[in-house]
Amino acid sequence: MVCIRQATVDDLLAMQNCNLLCLPENYQMKYYLYHILSWPQLLYVAEDYNKKIVGYVLAKMEEKEDPSETHRNAAGKEDSSECHGHITSLAVLRTHRKLGLATKLMNAAQRAMQEVFGAEYVSLHVRKSNRAAFHLYTETLGYRINDTEAKYYADSEDAYDMRKELIVREKSDKSSVASVTAKVEKLSVSDAKSDSAGKKPAEKAKDDAGPPTSKRGRGDKSQAPAAAAGNGEKDQGKKAIAGGGGGQVATSVA
Amino acid sequence: MGTSLPPKEANLFKVIAKSYETKQYKKGLKASDNILKKFPDHGETLAMRGLTLNCMDRKAEAYELVRRGVKNDLKSHVCWHVYGLLYRSDREYREAIKCYRNALRIDPENIQILRDLSLLQAQMRDTAGFVETRRQLLTIKPSHRANWIGFAIAHHSNHDAAMAVQILEAYEGTLEDDYPPDNDGNPPFPPERYEHSEMLLYKVTLLDESGAPERALAELNSKEQKIVDKVGLKEHRAALLVTLNRLKEAQEVYRYLLDMNPDNYSYYDGLQKCLGLSRVENGSYSPSQLEKLVELYTSLQRQYPKSSAAKRIPLDFLQGIEFVEAAKTYITFFLSKGVPSLFSDIRPLYDQRGKADYLEEIITGIESCLKETGSLPGKSDSEPPPTLMWTLFLLAQHYDRRRKYEKALEKIDEAIKHTPTAIDLYLVKGRIMKHAGDRVAAAALADEARSMDLADRFINSECVKRMLQADQVDLAEKTAVLFTKDGDQHNNLFDMQCMWYELASGDSYWRKDMLGKALKNYLAVEKHYTDMLEDQFDFHTYCLRKMTLRAYVRMLKFEDTLHSHRFFCRAAAAAIKCYVKLHDTPPKTSEGEEEIAVAGLSPAERKRVRQKMRKAEAKAKKMAEEKAKEDEALASSNVAKSNKKGSQATKQVDDDPDGDKLLHVSDPLEQAVKYAKLLQDNSAGALETHMLAFEIYFRKRKILLAFQAVKKLLKLDADNPNVHRSLIYFFNMVDNLPGAQSPAEKLVQEVISVERDALTALGNKSLLEMNKAFLEAHKESLLHRAAAAEVLVLLSPDSKEEAVKVIEDSVNPPVAPGGAIGDGVGEWELDDCVAVHKILLTSVKDEDAASRWRVRMADLFPHSTYFMGPKSSAVLGAASQVPCSLSKKEEQP
Repeated sequence: MVCIRQATVDDLLAMQNCNLLCLPENYQMKYYLYHILSWPQLLYVAEDYNKKIVGYVLAKMEEKEDPSETHRNAAGKEDSSECHGHITSLAVLRTHRKLGLATKLMNAAQRAMQEVFGAEYVSLHVRKSNRAAFHLYTETLGYRINDTEAKYYADSEDAYDMRKELIVREKSDKSSVASVTAKVEKLSVSDAKSDSAGKKPAEKAKDDAGPPTSKRGRGDKSQAPAAAAGNGEKDQGKKAIAGGGGGQVATSVA
Repeated sequence: MGTSLPPKEANLFKVIAKSYETKQYKKGLKASDNILKKFPDHGETLAMRGLTLNCMDRKAEAYELVRRGVKNDLKSHVCWHVYGLLYRSDREYREAIKCYRNALRIDPENIQILRDLSLLQAQMRDTAGFVETRRQLLTIKPSHRANWIGFAIAHHSNHDAAMAVQILEAYEGTLEDDYPPDNDGNPPFPPERYEHSEMLLYKVTLLDESGAPERALAELNSKEQKIVDKVGLKEHRAALLVTLNRLKEAQEVYRYLLDMNPDNYSYYDGLQKCLGLSRVENGSYSPSQLEKLVELYTSLQRQYPKSSAAKRIPLDFLQGIEFVEAAKTYITFFLSKGVPSLFSDIRPLYDQRGKADYLEEIITGIESCLKETGSLPGKSDSEPPPTLMWTLFLLAQHYDRRRKYEKALEKIDEAIKHTPTAIDLYLVKGRIMKHAGDRVAAAALADEARSMDLADRFINSECVKRMLQADQVDLAEKTAVLFTKDGDQHNNLFDMQCMWYELASGDSYWRKDMLGKALKNYLAVEKHYTDMLEDQFDFHTYCLRKMTLRAYVRMLKFEDTLHSHRFFCRAAAAAIKCYVKLHDTPPKTSEGEEEIAVAGLSPAERKRVRQKMRKAEAKAKKMAEEKAKEDEALASSNVAKSNKKGSQATKQVDDDPDGDKLLHVSDPLEQAVKYAKLLQDNSAGALETHMLAFEIYFRKRKILLAFQAVKKLLKLDADNPNVHRSLIYFFNMVDNLPGAQSPAEKLVQEVISVERDALTALGNKSLLEMNKAFLEAHKESLLHRAAAAEVLVLLSPDSKEEAVKVIEDSVNPPVAPGGAIGDGVGEWELDDCVAVHKILLTSVKDEDAASRWRVRMADLFPHSTYFMGPKSSAVLGAASQVPCSLSKKEEQP
């Protein structure tokens, strides 16, 4: 039915198009480039049998050293020391729902965050009103609400800041990096399995729910945990890239 | 340094530089004021002041100051560097490179300037220069990692992967033994670890690319522990093992990858390759292969019961009864799951001989079984009601694909009656309507669907698309605006590079003959691609730091072929058509002034007058533009003063919302040439590219260029009706040229006549004879007949009657059985028949014949609004297609 694979640069235009068709939060091409050139392992696409991109996940790692990125939870406690991933945007065309694509894309990205970048947890934002997406994140994927961000979206709707732990940390574990990675690999394999097993009831619940379209917004239609809206540029990648303006002048000798 | 400053001013100068880097432009200006009070001619200060003003959107002043600075201090590398930066900010890279080179002549080892130069060389793909600059940087500062990596990347982009490997190895030699450090004290995933891992994988790709797969594999194995991207590692390893023909090992890796992700089709491909099950040359499998394939996928299905890929792939190679069995299981499974995309998933099968008929058998079988027993075939439990709805939904799309629109509509209406709240049904009904030729009804249906879930942008987009196809541009705009936040929808869609909208909107304006607005949309798309080309600039440095080198190299390739992307090609082609049309029928300027001026003149005189008027117009426009520029500069400087930060760009006001300026461009063909060149460079394989080039050069009377296009066309598809038409039009023009005047013209005509003899398509026949032969060879095809008729009228205007007869005598044969199209359906397609109607109207110029054609086609395409078909909304009204129980809007008075 649909192929789930890592995205390449050549997919970005189709991903942008898919995003524009489905979601109100949009980004310029440079933001997609920024993602794939920073964390190439964290972008996945769903491609149908006609080679058309029908869904994608765009994810990133939060850089610890940047103080503006620190996250405060409800208690106001900072936990920026943890290395974590963030889902920037996830979308599946309405025509291709009910295939579990969103779940597959999310699992692939989460796995890569953990395996490649050592993410300890993953975060995302979701509109308070987006029941379908909320259901997917909580019931199927195991996210929980960490905080609420008032007026997060450009149309001033609130967002839930949601999180999911990726690694069960063992305090006694002080082994070398190599063995940690080995463990991670093992863990994530079993993770994926327990995930798909754990997913079953939720998926089933969805399928059982009578005529699929008798109610609005059933199934995993386009989810929007999208962080930066097109005009809310706070996340638009510019800051992370050197020299938006002029850069340096060779005046050091002056 | 040129003229040096006393200590106090020297310090102030440092303040300017610092303020520029930290974007505190006002502070910088103040400091420059203080220096210039004492040293009004100090070149570097003038230059830096200019550069600062440039960031405050005071372009004109900036250029003036920087130029004065350079003039006052020609020996200063700072002035030249600043001049280069100024050009760079305006994307004038060639000029910028010149300035940097001047700066480096004065200060050859200046790292900052060398780095800036290398960026421009990377951007401009001056690979030889890039290598040289990167070599200098490495020599000056070998302690920087980025300098090693940059040098390797430079060689790679200069097509020397082997050299790039050597450099990376030399760099690795400078590292401590155990890099990155693996000790306990560090966090488990320091960024260096990822960066090093990426470099290793980059090196592996380089080794592979340089023709050393064995070494690549060895490298991969020995560094396995240091590579954190395990998926990347495994994929590389599998591919390398296949290259080295170590298929057994490769198979193991692919099986491992499939365990991880059984939804990745490329892993199945790889596995097949390892088992010797790739398609043989003609794209099919041998009988023994087929046997093994069946075995393989049976076991894969058992192994991955959740993977749809393992079930779907066999449908491609199975035939006959085996296909029927497999397809039945597959379709039943997804129908009872209620998967809306089932049809689009099986659609490619329709192009395989015989499979469309099988599918019809299967789906109608399921339908009747459900209706009669309430269960799926071969099952006893009764199915919940949605399954029947999804079956009807699938069946409707099936008949739509087979061009049996009546049946398709019957089935979709049945489904809607079954579950009137299912939104997808209306979208599909809309699509059927569109295929049947009723875009107005399609838009009404999409709007009905939209009203059922206003929060879903996908349905909104689908609806907007349909409205634009029905040429309801204003309504479409109003609908699209519901999902663009700031209410100023054009800017938002434009800012977000929403190209599908711009293309669809442009097409609609084109059909409405509003060329200014059409062009505005098409050129917006073109602008996005220019911006995307520009986007890569910042990443030349960024990726060297981040070490995402594999992705970076792919990005460079992507940018190199950016202009072959389909959105760009469509926009460029459409823009060219607009310009050609503007050339053929120039817009009425200055309230028909021109018409009056040329009335009663001979054609030659007319042309002269027109040219004169156009020149005067161009001059006036240029003056107006200059004035506007000045005003703008003034305005922006005012804004800059009032703006506290002073750095924020002022919001651009669209001074040409209707594209009127585009409409009155002085030489439309010259504009068209720009885009034609891009298409020729990037889409040389497309027939349309050369068709358009021909149309332009034919009109410009650029004989050799037009002929070049014709030759390309003949090479691509000599039998194509449009190619035939171009060929004849071209030689007809050549034949009617006045005798050669200049030696150059004579030469051109000689070349053409030699080439003409060499053309096999033409033989030694006259154009008329050739046209006759063409008609004879393709007499079964409607479009070929129409082209021949069109050419006939061109060559001998008296033969109009004959031409009409050629078209009217065409018969619509039923399609050959076994294909995608259903039995009994005629071969003719609606779009082609519309094209023929237009030929009758505009080329053959026979209105009676055109109207006879319309009547005939209305019968053949009863839903076509274009032909006023009896079942179309052009006759019945748009509301007729929306089920009345749901269209509440219409009920209200």
